[in-house]
Amino acid sequence: MGYLVLFFLVPVILAACYSVGLLTLLPNDDYLSVQPWRDFLFGSVYLGVFWRSVEMALIVSVGSVLLAYPIAYVLALVAGRRKYTLLLIIIAPFLTSYLLRVLALRVILQQQGVVNSFLRTIHVLAADESIPWLFNSRFAVYLVLIYVWVPFVALPIFVALENLDGALLEASSDLGAGRWRTFLTVTLPLSTPGVIGAFIFVFIPTIGEYVTPLLVGGPDNFMFGNAIQGAFLAGFDWQFGAAMSMFLVFAVGLLIAVFGRYLNVRAVAE
Amino acid sequence: MNVAASARGRLALWLFFGLLVVFLYAPIVILIVFSFNDRSFVSFPWQGFTLRWYRTFLSNSALLVALRTSGMIAISTAIVTVALAIPASVLLVRRRFFGKPVVSAVMLSPLVIPLVVFGIALLILFNTLGVPLSPATVAVGHIVIALPFAALTLIPRLERIPVWLEEASRDLGATALTAFRSITLPLLMPAIISSLLISFVISFDEVVIASFVAGDEPTFPLYLFSQLRLPRRLPQVIAVAVVVMLLSGVLVIASEVGRRLSDRRFDRELRAPETLDEQLGEVMA
Repeated sequence: MGYLVLFFLVPVILAACYSVGLLTLLPNDDYLSVQPWRDFLFGSVYLGVFWRSVEMALIVSVGSVLLAYPIAYVLALVAGRRKYTLLLIIIAPFLTSYLLRVLALRVILQQQGVVNSFLRTIHVLAADESIPWLFNSRFAVYLVLIYVWVPFVALPIFVALENLDGALLEASSDLGAGRWRTFLTVTLPLSTPGVIGAFIFVFIPTIGEYVTPLLVGGPDNFMFGNAIQGAFLAGFDWQFGAAMSMFLVFAVGLLIAVFGRYLNVRAVAE
Repeated sequence: MNVAASARGRLALWLFFGLLVVFLYAPIVILIVFSFNDRSFVSFPWQGFTLRWYRTFLSNSALLVALRTSGMIAISTAIVTVALAIPASVLLVRRRFFGKPVVSAVMLSPLVIPLVVFGIALLILFNTLGVPLSPATVAVGHIVIALPFAALTLIPRLERIPVWLEEASRDLGATALTAFRSITLPLLMPAIISSLLISFVISFDEVVIASFVAGDEPTFPLYLFSQLRLPRRLPQVIAVAVVVMLLSGVLVIASEVGRRLSDRRFDRELRAPETLDEQLGEVMA
């Protein structure tokens, strides 16, 4: 516990202090100033990057949930005894390396990649041609992030559906409701907490996403994580970067304050 | 009548399920296949089977050094993480104390902090303290993000171990420590092993925190990142990626399967289910 306070809470608090100049590290840092915050909130393109990241994260979360829901439904309500084996097949990719899976998709999508070179081999594309939207594009970021998240999203939805009392479904059917009606009025509402939990679990890390936009998105599709990283490692404006990251922490904190009760972490772990 | 789906609905659902499995595994399979292609680009056309990319990476010393650095970081991360997670989980499961919800919230909060933010916060901390960046500073960060995963693996198992086992041993004269060591710890072992493996894999794969606090000894993911700019190096990078991906996959899946099997056996041995509900719960779990 002490370890977490020392190496988790303290650094985050230090970063907050640093963003307003309570603490200075570099020679050109401002002392006691809200300048970095003012720059960020009023004078920069970075707030725009933030909202773009929010929009992209929304699309990714909705996409992952839409793909994962039928999967969780099959596993929980249709698969019967084989469901745990099948669940493991779905989540196994999630348990292996995230970075290497992004790399795999990069190799497939890039200009000299598997898809483009295949289309060239069968002469659908000319020798120096490639599909523009396939790589260094918004589409690539969406595809890769959804690819990465789907197994993870299926998990909390699966747990919610599995804890559903089967008798409720039968009661609904006995009372004359068709399958769609049962689904819409019983199953779906009862699994909503799992869906919202899954949504938040994807949405939060995706806003600050950094690796995927860098590897397959190209500079035009950089997200907030790239902006923060740029301020630190390329721009050397640490205070500005700290202000941006604290802004992200507040945004995330707000989300958790509102939706925290849906975050059933235990469901995900077991 | 099956309430969940009609026969046609089931067919459609299974079809969707199959497509998604293909979507999830195709990139991995493609990566593996093309790591054997005898061509300097990872792409079509297929020019014959070769092991040369695997041989090249085995003779690339910078790559091997990065692998070793990451291995050391991941091993230290795994050991320290689990050593910290065991007492923390025992505390959270077995004791009542003031502020427990706050403690568990702090414990789990690394799950939701954006890694970029945590990376720079650590960088600021080490700068403030004047600690030089090294593989050790990377391990410090990895321990923080691995802790909630380790705790979430240990806690459910710990809850399954009835307190009376330890109490009985205390009644027979064992000290608290002996009781813990000879009763609880062995029963906890499967969960300890899986949390070691999970922490190891998390650390070995982590690139964001490392990019801020690694100093000038790159970890394997950082090395990989730096090589992506050089297309000539791509085939050997892919070869090593395949090896690492398969190894980490096998490790984690083996530990998951092992943990579930041992949980199930443990439940059967320890607790005769009393009600139908519990029996059902057992089958589900």
